[in-house]
Amino acid sequence: MTVHHLPDGRPSVIAVEGLTKRYGDQVAVDNLSLDVPRGVVAGFLGPNGAGKTTTMAMLLGLARPTAGRGTVLEFPLDRPTAYLGRVGALIEGPTFWPGLTGIENLRVIAKLSGHDTRQIPELLDLVRLSGRGSDRFGQYSLGMKQRLGIAAALIGDPELLVLDEPTNGLDPAGINEMRALIGDIAHDDRTVLVSSHLLAEVEQVCDWLIVIDHGALRYQGPADGFLGQVSPVLTLASERPDDLDRLVEVVRTAGFDAARERDGITVPLNVAEPRDAAVALNKEAISAGIVLAELHVQRPNLESHYLAMVEGGDR
Amino acid sequence: MIRAFRAEMVKLLRRRVWLLTAAAVVVVAIGGTAIVLGGAEPAGPGASGQSLTLQDLANAGGGTEVFRRAASFAGFFTFVVFVAAIAVEFGRGTFRTMLLRQPARLRLMAGKMVAMLAYSAGVLAVTMVLTWIAARLFAPSQDIDTGAWMTMDGLAAGVADYAAVLFWITGYAMLGMMLGVLLRSVPIALGVGIAWAGPFEHLLQDAWDPASRFFPGLLLEAFVAGGTDDVEAMRAFVTIAVYVAIAAVVASLSLSRRDVTA
Repeated sequence: MTVHHLPDGRPSVIAVEGLTKRYGDQVAVDNLSLDVPRGVVAGFLGPNGAGKTTTMAMLLGLARPTAGRGTVLEFPLDRPTAYLGRVGALIEGPTFWPGLTGIENLRVIAKLSGHDTRQIPELLDLVRLSGRGSDRFGQYSLGMKQRLGIAAALIGDPELLVLDEPTNGLDPAGINEMRALIGDIAHDDRTVLVSSHLLAEVEQVCDWLIVIDHGALRYQGPADGFLGQVSPVLTLASERPDDLDRLVEVVRTAGFDAARERDGITVPLNVAEPRDAAVALNKEAISAGIVLAELHVQRPNLESHYLAMVEGGDR
Repeated sequence: MIRAFRAEMVKLLRRRVWLLTAAAVVVVAIGGTAIVLGGAEPAGPGASGQSLTLQDLANAGGGTEVFRRAASFAGFFTFVVFVAAIAVEFGRGTFRTMLLRQPARLRLMAGKMVAMLAYSAGVLAVTMVLTWIAARLFAPSQDIDTGAWMTMDGLAAGVADYAAVLFWITGYAMLGMMLGVLLRSVPIALGVGIAWAGPFEHLLQDAWDPASRFFPGLLLEAFVAGGTDDVEAMRAFVTIAVYVAIAAVVASLSLSRRDVTA
């Protein structure tokens, strides 16, 4: 048993180093090292095929790493029997027995893990399936199946919850519902690792982010830190389109970078207070006799930063 | 293993499964009895080989011999059920769901198999009783004297027949399990299993006489028939036991080494 700590002293619930998974020549996970601190809701982000599910499969003992090592709940990855009793998981979609009712499916899971089946009504209530527990799983909608999957993962009140794309295939209302549910089940004593290929689906509930692409780590750390990597952008447009070129010169003379767009210019800001830069540039434009029709600060957009990162913009 | 056993029992001990099983039991017990009794030949020069005679049926073990013969019609069905029951867990992804709660793979599979075999043992016991009752009811129509059936010798023969059928079912179950674990797909596992145990082995048997002594499907058929001209029941029993052990080892290696990605 190894207790791994983050640099800030917090213990890691998941700590892996150099984790690699190859299928023949194809590298699904490439030398991945990551830490998930205790008590966070960690968003595990990456485009489809980035290696999220494979990584989770290795964390859950379903797939054997080609290389690397790590711990989950302080036990090594090659001893899943030591830690999986304290882990709840939903991976690669909710797969249950279609001929069994929701309650029967949960009973199978509870019996398998040696937990009390008396918690089932409470769990069905939590995932808002209490009225449909006696229906067969095969008759459930996708949203209901996902919620039953969450209920199954919660059996035994696990310390770590691993949810693989729980919003996959859901409509916007279902995504909202799932997000609310993840918020409900997260608390200080429980760590949640939730994967998604869309940041917008999980950013509101996550306080820790891990971004991978092509099996390799692109970012890990607090969600705030991810946001801090993005500079605000100032957008300016002159009243007369003919003044745009002059406006570019004015901005550059004032010591800023400027990029000419079709109807205006954009100015990336590396300053603590973007409002001050806006005021300064407005004054410079007025001094040069240019009337501004548009002047506004675009705040950091997490989604665009994420997309730029995974689509190669930040490489 | 006990947890896996209990979990599997949740699936098996459902009203719907009970009703389907009950229907199958009634069909095998009544239909099988009618076919076995109707097909029994009078003892004499015409009766030979492994065919059942009316005289055999009048012996102490006659009542349960009917069960043994009737159950043998369900061998193919048993094989299909076990292949499908295991392969579908992989194909559907429910084996992965179970592994997340019981990561000890061998214990999980052992618990599942023991549960299915325990259920089968119970079903066989009920089928045997029903078959015996049906045989007693039909026996007068074939002029079969059932007086010896209710003796201690009859009981002992019944226990032996039950054990034989249970072993025979276990043989099919283990081979089916191995195919399911290796191929992880219901259509592929069934296709391979049916092609092997059906046409392939019988074609081999036609072309090569010793095949009966070596191939598992033929040995299982020979065993439940109480032995054939080509292979004695005891030899069939021992060889099947070896196959069962091999199936267990092969399935265990595959289970413990392969990733569960579906």
